[in-house]
Amino acid sequence: MSEEKKQQVSRRQFLNYTLMGVGGFMAAGLLISPVRMAIDPVLKSGEGGGLANVGIAVDEITNEPTRIDWSVDQVDGWYESQVSRSAWVFKDENDEIVAFSPVCKHLGCVVSWEGSEKYPNEFFCPCHDGRYYKNGVNVPGTPPLTPLDEYEMEIKDGMLFLGDPKPHREA
Amino acid sequence: MKWRKEDLEKYVQAKEYIDTILLPIIPFQLADDAESEKHAFQQEVMGIFGSEIEQELSGRVMLIPSYYYLKEGNKEVEVQRLNDWIAEAKDQPFQHIILLTFDATWKKYEKELDGNLLWLPGLHGADIRTKETQGIIRDQVKQLTEIIRSYWQ
Repeated sequence: MSEEKKQQVSRRQFLNYTLMGVGGFMAAGLLISPVRMAIDPVLKSGEGGGLANVGIAVDEITNEPTRIDWSVDQVDGWYESQVSRSAWVFKDENDEIVAFSPVCKHLGCVVSWEGSEKYPNEFFCPCHDGRYYKNGVNVPGTPPLTPLDEYEMEIKDGMLFLGDPKPHREA
Repeated sequence: MKWRKEDLEKYVQAKEYIDTILLPIIPFQLADDAESEKHAFQQEVMGIFGSEIEQELSGRVMLIPSYYYLKEGNKEVEVQRLNDWIAEAKDQPFQHIILLTFDATWKKYEKELDGNLLWLPGLHGADIRTKETQGIIRDQVKQLTEIIRSYWQ
């Protein structure tokens, strides 16, 4: 008789288990959002974090700056649109790939590599004769006051991926 | 620069650098169904041309609101009104006024206009979403910016 009684669940035990179960759920419910936030970067999809494939293989990039055009989807307030972007891409003297934004830091025209015959080996802005050396730094005495912006970049499967323009590393 | 608040704020700060006006002139009519489709399409393409050229040369060019006119309207009157627009811009002082059009009838009145008229051959039956058309437009924009730069020299 006493053996049998031990195996039965008492009222007290039953209530304890139930409370533990419910309490456990509540604790889990409270913990889930901070934990999700803590591990969020790990769960980010492998899309390269907003970087776009600009359609050029790394092997195709030479020491000569080449203009690359691509477009990205952009939502800006209530305008959802395709925005075209451009970059001057080349390998610098250390064989590192560089992607400069072509937007002149003076008033925002589009600069081009060797855009003027008078200034070889420089980026040239057609609007007010702004000039930049090959490393993107503005030539003193010309209108722009800061170096060209640089794109965030990543190389995946031998292709170049570019993100948003960021201030030049020397700025 | 475009005719919008944030660009105008920049323009007021940097007036001495911005000396060129880009003014698209666009015909409008509803009487002829086939023609109005063509004109609507040209209006869309002109919008793309305007904003693409502006993007290339935004530090020196101001793209102002397009000038619309009735296709069969009296051109003498339109020339007069256009010259009023141009005079308004030249007062600022903008030195180069560039009128963009697909309408070849303006060629006859080119001498009476106080700005530089750039006539572009229209794109017929093209689809602006295809890669080919975008390539054509990009190429034409490149040549147009060359022409505009030649006015600056």
